[in-house]
Amino acid sequence: MRNLFGYVGRKFITFLQDLSSIYHLFMETLLQTALLFKDRKRLKKASILSYVDAIGSFSIPLVLLVSALIGVGLTVVIAFNLDNLGMLNAVPGVVVVAVYRFLAPLLTGIIVAGRMGAAFTARIGTMKVSEEILAIETMAINPVRFLVVQRFLGMIIALPALTVLGSFMALLGSFVYCVGHFGMGPNVYIVGILDILTPNDVISGIVKSLFYAVVIVMIGCYRGLIVEGSAEEVGKATMVTVVWSTLTIIVLDTVLTTAFYG
Amino acid sequence: MNMFIIRSITKRYGGRVVLDDVSFTAEDKKITYVLGTSGSGKSTLLKTMIGAIKPDAGEVLFNDTDITKLSDRGLDPYRKKIGMLFQQGALINYLSVFDNIALPMREHTTLDENIIKIMVKMKLELVGLRDFEELMPSQLSGGMQKRVALARALALDPSIIFFDEPTSGLDPIGRSVITKLISDLNRLMGISCIVVSHAVDEALRTADQIVILYRGKVIAAGTPQEIRQTPDLLVQQFITGSVEGPIAFRASSKEFGEDLLVG
Repeated sequence: MRNLFGYVGRKFITFLQDLSSIYHLFMETLLQTALLFKDRKRLKKASILSYVDAIGSFSIPLVLLVSALIGVGLTVVIAFNLDNLGMLNAVPGVVVVAVYRFLAPLLTGIIVAGRMGAAFTARIGTMKVSEEILAIETMAINPVRFLVVQRFLGMIIALPALTVLGSFMALLGSFVYCVGHFGMGPNVYIVGILDILTPNDVISGIVKSLFYAVVIVMIGCYRGLIVEGSAEEVGKATMVTVVWSTLTIIVLDTVLTTAFYG
Repeated sequence: MNMFIIRSITKRYGGRVVLDDVSFTAEDKKITYVLGTSGSGKSTLLKTMIGAIKPDAGEVLFNDTDITKLSDRGLDPYRKKIGMLFQQGALINYLSVFDNIALPMREHTTLDENIIKIMVKMKLELVGLRDFEELMPSQLSGGMQKRVALARALALDPSIIFFDEPTSGLDPIGRSVITKLISDLNRLMGISCIVVSHAVDEALRTADQIVILYRGKVIAAGTPQEIRQTPDLLVQQFITGSVEGPIAFRASSKEFGEDLLVG
């Protein structure tokens, strides 16, 4: 029993230490980002768009596919009940709220966490074990500016954009199913959406995705930066990144959804 | 003067003492070799000297500044004056040879890209790899990677270069090339070289002074001539590479028979 307490206690302390380190990393990232924007010459060379491009091109196919399928699935489940009640025309309104307020930001966040968060940890972790990060520091280059800032800026541009794209695809999936399966008029579907959707729904989805972008970059980069030892440790760190960023996004989603609409 | 004075450096990891009251002086424009068996604390000492590890006690004085007391930002001016050749080269894997060598120049100077091009060519010529600037690090052999890494270490014309096991894992020709480069950098360009290694022959051939570490302690220091003539059995066993001597082949402290009976 004492062992169990000891184990839980140690894990909790490690968790608090990680949390504090991630907070410091985030502050340093903000500072370095501010410094980068002051230095025009460096900003030009920082190639932030290439990071947006990398994050986008790796994740777009996955986000499009998953979002469209979720759109169809959601419609099937909702329409079954609403059709029985003779309220089929309410389907677009329910779907659009679910997609914008909840599903699209969450799913896109989780997909990108698995895809890019893991890649950040793997890349930075490999650099850590091969002493490349120590080499960067020894050249008097700030590793946060060199490795984290571009990923941070790339992600806070790419993830909201992907979320908007994902929301659209989910609606498209739902639209195709409603029109194709139930023979709903395209106009009816579009009017159904426009009646319900408010600008706040779209904005809240984007705000959520900004939070998730920070979570993905910070956990991904932090786990890479603290890897010690061998290539095996890089593999383990990658797994931890996926688990923690997914979990954090889900918890944060509950908090934010409650805060916005609860 | 770019002199290093290492004074009573002690470093522990957990309960294990890795560096135990290490003191020596590395003189300006000289080649200093720090020799030791694997696990003798050489790498820890080197990392302390570049400011990557803070010791538990002691100081590393460089031009009268104790670099162990400096913060990361405080270390920057010092780090711009030194170069470091890492054991595996530590080239940035996703940058080409050219971009790797240009990196410190782009970061710390306002030089025009055309001038950087010329400078990179000059650095590559020094290590004999002028035609390789477009290649990626993974396309080079281990020895070539180290030479490119040396060119990168030279990028900002440092007055001191640190070498972490520069010849380990290389073929005999690769070893000679690196050793000759160290010697040339020192004799022709007046760069101080601090080399951490276990290659005794190379040290005896090229060093101006040698420090021998064993289990975190300095057991001998002096010129190659003085080291050769040291009567100390430990030092003699190390420089001759003999199996017989005070450094036992068996690492266990318990008697073999006792261990078997307990088992």
